[in-house]
Amino acid sequence: MLERRNPILTNIVLLGFLLLVITPFLWMVLGSLKTQGELLRVPPTWLPEEPTLGNFRRLFDRPFAKFFSNSAIVAIVVTAGNLLLSSMFGYALAHLRFPFKKLLFVLVLGCLMIPGLVTFIPQYVLVVNLGLADTLPALILPFLVQPFSVFLMRQFFLGLPRELLEAGRIDGVGEIAIFFRIYLPLAGPAFATLGILTFLGSWNNFLWPLVVSSSESTYTLPVALALISTGQNQTDYGLLLAGATLIVLPILVVFLFFQRYFIQGIAATGIK
Amino acid sequence: MSTSTTTAGTDGRPAAAGSRRRSRRGAAEARAGVLLALPFVLLFAVFTAWPVLQSMFMSFTDMRISDIRTPFAVDFVGLENYRTAFADPVFRRAALNTGVFVLLGVPLTITAGLAAALALNTGVGRLRAVYRVGFYSPVITSIVAVAVVWRFLLQPGTGLVNTVLGWVGIDGPHWLGDQRTALLSLVVMAVWRNFGTSMIIFLAGLQAVDPGLHEAAALDGAGRWRRFVSITLPSIRPTMLFVLVTTSIGYLQFFEEPFVMTNGGPLNATVSASMYTYNQFGFGNYGVAGAMAYLTFLVIGLVTLVQFRLMREK
Amino acid sequence: MSSFARPTRRTVTGLGAAAALGLLAACGRPDETESGPAAPAEPIAEGAATGSLTVWAMGAEGEKLPELLKGFQEQNPDVTVEVTPVPWDSAHDKFTSAIAAGTAPDVAQVGSTWMAEFVGLNALESTPEEVATDDYFPGALESVTVDGTVYGVPWYVETRVVYYRKDLAEKAGITEPPTDWEGLVALAQALQEKADAEWGISLQPGGTGSWQSVMPLIWSNGGNVVDEASTEFTFESGQNEEALAYYQSYFTDGLADPAPADGTTEQDFVSGRVPMFISGPWMMSAVESVGGEGFAGKYGVFTMPVKETSSSFLGGANLGVFQGTKNRDAAWKLVQYLSTPEVQVEWFGMSTDLPALQQGWEDETVASNEKFEVFRAQLDTALAPPVVATWEQVAASFDAQIEKVCKDDLAPADALAATQSEAQGIGTGA
Repeated sequence: MLERRNPILTNIVLLGFLLLVITPFLWMVLGSLKTQGELLRVPPTWLPEEPTLGNFRRLFDRPFAKFFSNSAIVAIVVTAGNLLLSSMFGYALAHLRFPFKKLLFVLVLGCLMIPGLVTFIPQYVLVVNLGLADTLPALILPFLVQPFSVFLMRQFFLGLPRELLEAGRIDGVGEIAIFFRIYLPLAGPAFATLGILTFLGSWNNFLWPLVVSSSESTYTLPVALALISTGQNQTDYGLLLAGATLIVLPILVVFLFFQRYFIQGIAATGIK
Repeated sequence: MSTSTTTAGTDGRPAAAGSRRRSRRGAAEARAGVLLALPFVLLFAVFTAWPVLQSMFMSFTDMRISDIRTPFAVDFVGLENYRTAFADPVFRRAALNTGVFVLLGVPLTITAGLAAALALNTGVGRLRAVYRVGFYSPVITSIVAVAVVWRFLLQPGTGLVNTVLGWVGIDGPHWLGDQRTALLSLVVMAVWRNFGTSMIIFLAGLQAVDPGLHEAAALDGAGRWRRFVSITLPSIRPTMLFVLVTTSIGYLQFFEEPFVMTNGGPLNATVSASMYTYNQFGFGNYGVAGAMAYLTFLVIGLVTLVQFRLMREK
Repeated sequence: MSSFARPTRRTVTGLGAAAALGLLAACGRPDETESGPAAPAEPIAEGAATGSLTVWAMGAEGEKLPELLKGFQEQNPDVTVEVTPVPWDSAHDKFTSAIAAGTAPDVAQVGSTWMAEFVGLNALESTPEEVATDDYFPGALESVTVDGTVYGVPWYVETRVVYYRKDLAEKAGITEPPTDWEGLVALAQALQEKADAEWGISLQPGGTGSWQSVMPLIWSNGGNVVDEASTEFTFESGQNEEALAYYQSYFTDGLADPAPADGTTEQDFVSGRVPMFISGPWMMSAVESVGGEGFAGKYGVFTMPVKETSSSFLGGANLGVFQGTKNRDAAWKLVQYLSTPEVQVEWFGMSTDLPALQQGWEDETVASNEKFEVFRAQLDTALAPPVVATWEQVAASFDAQIEKVCKDDLAPADALAATQSEAQGIGTGA
């Protein structure tokens, strides 16, 4: 960060690497503009020969706005809930002494390691018994609490100096207020990271919404995408790639937005 | 139910019980801790811990899909399901594949992620945001699209990879159809898909590195590598531990890649423990599937424990 | 942090033991299990359907079904039908979860290999007498019959025939499609030697669903993999071995690619690289869309070559009414509506799903295409997959053995013996 390497050299290496990394991504976007015939051609073409928006048009024959808003509501609530709940718990685990702390941490971490598939059926039966089948809360509630988020926030708060806490106490700030007024405002970078990861996880979640939702009014984008692109015997590749491109766009926007907060960083918030 | 005991216990009471010799501040701290933990713990008990307990019970019974309406009217079979899992040659193969996948994939992913984060943290100028988004694009691309694109890229005769290899005179193999290269292809694909995640976590972690230390060390004549080893690495140790643990856990459960790309073939060369478990669920063998999942869990637990020990926190 | 290991072990074991002990007392299978033959179904009430119905259908069917049901709603103005399209990919998981939780729909499209499993779960209603079942293709009716009782009805059917490049076959000196096993080998050889084909025929070298390619050969040779009553597996037999050896010979003789690329069947067919494959009716529009104008004249289809018989695989989907439906009369009326020849023909027009009712084929629109006549002929002898509750799992282990036969030169007899022993371990779920 201090003495500059030759930025041109670094940039050349990075650009080459970048090209390698985004090739599949580019192929997806370009493919969404091709016809099924061209997509199936051997050898494959790179640039669409006769670019068409037909795939997107066919996509919008369906209630796409509904799927979109379902996905957005679920992802936003899940993300907000995760940020709040796991930063509270993560902070407590990192800096406070309270009963059963280690036990709780171990239990939560333990559940991070249990393959999600095992709990699938019991969770589903639970949601149905709570009368939540085919509702948006059923898509939200089980994901509000994720061991991964707690783990991340705990590690993050561990990295913040304990002196802040001591100073707050000396100034007579209440224990809970110390968290909300002193530590939480510093959590920007961690929130950006966790926010992106959680949003992404929720946005792309497939199996759970597929099973829990049983009408189009609660379908999310990935479910809708799987629905329209795979027949019993044939895949409509153009439609699939168009749908995948559209699903990615909002995430790109979210990522572009959040990464501004990255740049600010901890140093910029003045705690060092 | 034991979990709910825990929750109830956390709720206020122990503050009194534990306050033997603690100051009033200690009690206040404990109360705050409990209050901050409570919302998460309650939801967690209902939506995660309880289903986990149920599934654990399942793994010791002969439960099949036909028992699902009467989940307790099943026979307790002890460790029989675990024995079945161990005796299954495909499951053993799956365990081996998973091990290879983790041993190759985790170091590659972490190295790639850290290298990218370090590179972006030095002066790369205006393109920084472009790189960041570009390197992250595989993570945000839906697995459905990833599968389609990669299958095209890895096509034996006409795929992009073999076309490029052909330019330099190499006759590329049938990547996904050949037993020797199939798992390797999936490792590369997984690294491609996941290094962006570790990159952004490292980027956040690198913010915590004190630039003053670097400057001082540079003045003392420490080289770049030396500074990386003795300043950067120690500073990002919590981040490193986090990335290591979560990547390992994720890779030990690797599922999506073979599920969408190879379905475990050719000749079980890419079948993974999680995928095989999933198949057992699909067949309705809940008891055996539960046992397999908990075997995976045991391995994950051990690996995580070792990682925590090796990178012990103060 | 180092101390955190200790509570783990203690707690987790403690929790597990507590859970196990607490529940142990309550568990154990009830002694009485088998309920004997299914009781005859209640009759359906007279009059128009009323109330509301939920219907699940997969993929394209789910998308197009609401359009078809407009007619039903005209006939029964007091009924409201809500159709939920379900993606094929994970439809099975969705159904089993819904059955488990008691949230299954009233009526649904049911995959033909799921019937026995769902009946085993007590999820499907048996078919009442008012629903006629005598006009279905025999193989299709078999796929809805579990232990002698009919559950639901066949909805649409499909079967597999051989697609070949007529023009290239003529170039190779073969003008008549082959009719027996030797003839098919000869055609594949001729295409490879005289018509510049890289491979003579495209066959699936194992992997998911390859049993669907092998079963027709087994049936054609007079073999089968389950006994008459579907209670015992019979993988090990001379006929089965001969059929599997025949399948293997295509790979050992270099006529079929043992490691084909994914999803290139259409292109390879059009380019002539692999000018023959075995598949269902949906491939007609697929190859014609890749091949472009005039391609329809360049290829032909013929029925499966004869050994003892010409048997193909019968696929398609069924309609089932789920137990616990709150609107049983309307549900069966909907099934009745979809099972009339006119509606089946109308559905063919919308979806190109082939009618499961033989009468449906008398209509001009269905019978107009000569290629459809080949499918029609094949349907008479096509057989449904074994109706066994554990079939999906048995099939998966069969698929794995077929893969070894095609790629690893495993002897067919050994493969069948291994499948038999695995299948016996799995059981028929009866």
